[in-house]
Amino acid sequence: MELKSIKDAFDRVANKQKLSYTKTQEIIQMLSQELDKALILLQEQFDQRPILASLKKTLQENSPLTQIEVREKELNMALTKYPKVLEKQQLNSDISKAYRHNVEFDTHVVNQIIANFFYRQGMFDVGDCFLAETGDESECSTRRSFVEMHQIVEAMEMRRELGPALNWATSNSEKLRQARSDLEMKLHSLRFLEIARDQTSQEAINYARKHMAGFADSSLYEIQKLICSLLWSRNLEHSPYSDLLAPSRWNDAVRELTRQYCNLLDESSESALSTTLAAGTQALPVLLKYMNVMVAANKKLDWQSVEQLPVAVELSEEFQFRSVFVCPVSKEQASDENPPMMMSCGHVLCKQTINKMSKNGARSSFKCPYCPTDVDISKCRQLHF
Amino acid sequence: MEIDPVTNGNTDAVMTEPTPAISPSRPLVPSSRLSQLTESIKLEHQLLRVPFEHYKKTIRANHRSLEREVSSVVSSVGDLADNDWSKDVAVSRLTSLVSRLQGLKRKLEEGSNVENLQAQRCRARIDHLDSADVENITEWNNTKLKRILVDYMLRMSYFETASKLSESSNILDLVDIDIFREAKKVIDALKRREVASALAWCADNKTRLKKSKSKLEFQLRLQEFIELVRADSYKQAILYARKHLTPWGATHMNELQHVLATLAFKSTTECAKYKALFELQQWDVLVHQFKQEFCKLYGMTMEPLLNIYLQAGLTALKTPYSFEEGCTKEDPLSQESFRKLALPLPYSKQEHSKLVCYISKELMDTENPPQVLPNGYVYSTKALKEMADRNKGEIKCPRTGFVCNHTDLIKAYIS
Repeated sequence: MELKSIKDAFDRVANKQKLSYTKTQEIIQMLSQELDKALILLQEQFDQRPILASLKKTLQENSPLTQIEVREKELNMALTKYPKVLEKQQLNSDISKAYRHNVEFDTHVVNQIIANFFYRQGMFDVGDCFLAETGDESECSTRRSFVEMHQIVEAMEMRRELGPALNWATSNSEKLRQARSDLEMKLHSLRFLEIARDQTSQEAINYARKHMAGFADSSLYEIQKLICSLLWSRNLEHSPYSDLLAPSRWNDAVRELTRQYCNLLDESSESALSTTLAAGTQALPVLLKYMNVMVAANKKLDWQSVEQLPVAVELSEEFQFRSVFVCPVSKEQASDENPPMMMSCGHVLCKQTINKMSKNGARSSFKCPYCPTDVDISKCRQLHF
Repeated sequence: MEIDPVTNGNTDAVMTEPTPAISPSRPLVPSSRLSQLTESIKLEHQLLRVPFEHYKKTIRANHRSLEREVSSVVSSVGDLADNDWSKDVAVSRLTSLVSRLQGLKRKLEEGSNVENLQAQRCRARIDHLDSADVENITEWNNTKLKRILVDYMLRMSYFETASKLSESSNILDLVDIDIFREAKKVIDALKRREVASALAWCADNKTRLKKSKSKLEFQLRLQEFIELVRADSYKQAILYARKHLTPWGATHMNELQHVLATLAFKSTTECAKYKALFELQQWDVLVHQFKQEFCKLYGMTMEPLLNIYLQAGLTALKTPYSFEEGCTKEDPLSQESFRKLALPLPYSKQEHSKLVCYISKELMDTENPPQVLPNGYVYSTKALKEMADRNKGEIKCPRTGFVCNHTDLIKAYIS
């Protein structure tokens, strides 16, 4: 797909339009001039008829309308070409082809999702305006929590204040530890560097003793770096530890804070809305291609009521949240009714396949399709991923 | 190109030595990311098409009015020359024509300015698509999300939120607020049971509607007729039908006859076939038809972009196990609201097994194969080793509490 050809096609249109404009202005100019000339002649001479007749003749000869027409036609050609260029560059002209029309999204739920997104991003006035316009009486429950979160983040980003962040981190210390987050350590190191810079090294060491001792097993290297950096207390920019002053450390801390805060609110680290839309962006081309193929082959598809998508959509790794087991023999996805079973040789098939292989219990053993081991059905174990 | 003085003794060697590879202007990126980006750009037809249609419309409208003016000037001159008017009349008429031309010149300039602004907007969109790069992809996707949200706001007529969102996110060039406002005026009028603005819109877009064989104007006229009948103004209704409905008779005779027969009924009739025509819901049908024609004209989808993307995304993420407990919070389907939306959708199809360790949330593949506990629960080798190392070889299943030794684990082979 070449954006350049789209740009060129559009440039052609714009050029033709400019050309048409200048020419039209010229024509109008010519018309006014002729009329002015005629007016002057009329003032001087007595008989108006020959003047008017010659004026009419000049106009007919110059034929302004035809000239305008010619330009307009060229412009029209360029205008009609542009959508064709778009289509040629494989821009999908109707992405709603794969849309299931019998599925109605509950507007209230969608509005809640959108409002939640706004509050999460800190766009409180937009979110409030939105809820006001939808006429939704119920307030978004997470609004207050996100306001708090953004106050903490703002304090960190705008004023380099760590107080609120540290308060929050220490009060949720247990949960952060469970989530194996290094947020507290990050915040403490930033505070440590502040104290080392503004106050004495001794105070910094006191601070470290008080707050960082508990993290020795997980962040020993970091603590060592910080204590060693005290040797260059006033000259940190020129020391081997100058990276400790990098502003990216603040950004990292803010990011980690947002993630953990959202986690504790039972939200995902990345906004769920953006994750879903990103998944949609990957899925749509596949679905649309499938629909096009079906239409071209004139196959009727009962798209609106299938339980499983008829075409496989491979999403990239970051969208794999759950285990999916696909039986290598039947290509069916494992579910509660058809769980994966492991045979004594270590290979895994789905229950229905095993039943089929053993002819529904008629034969007590069968050969594994991968390794030629004899498999006893009773020894097959159900797996839980 | 740096030439190493040590290895190159004479100039001949320099010439025959192959030139070192010129470093690529951008670092090598995994081709999948690049192709994903291209695919995502291919979905953006609407972004480019809508302002273009608007631009085309403006050009054509300006041209039409220009044509009218010029032809009227030329014909006035012709009229002056052909007939015998007095000199004063000729002078006054010519002067008025001259001032008319001046006015036309100004109008032309204004029109051209408007066209240029619209052309700029079209260009801004193409540039925006061009600016999408693998490096700034998160930001580009963020903008895309905001664009999709603004599109949703506009379709639901939440204009204030749409403006606020576009201004604060700096995407005014990428959204079509004014086009939707234009539609809203017509829709509001229709909701008030007035057809005037809708008819004006049809007149504005006559050629396009004709090309697509649209019945919208016909339906509007029919509805007006029915309203006249409803108000018992039979004579007016008949005059109206003569003037406006007869041209459509050639193509839509059946429908025309059906509606004309309402003359014989009262608006409160119980006869089912004709009662339906008097229903006020017919106005809603008209609104829907207008929306369809409007979207078709501008190359927009009927449904909000948000719904389209959400549906595709939810169905791609949904698995038969999505509604169970104990899934990671990163999964959008772990949230109540997303689950509600995904309920009626089909679940996704996958061709190959993809297993995720419950403990570490990492993929269990050939580098980190799955291992099975005696109770049938499966975790990744790495996570189990970590656990064993921390607990002197003891493994405790996090989901059932079952305890066993690291040696009791069996490797599973999943293709």
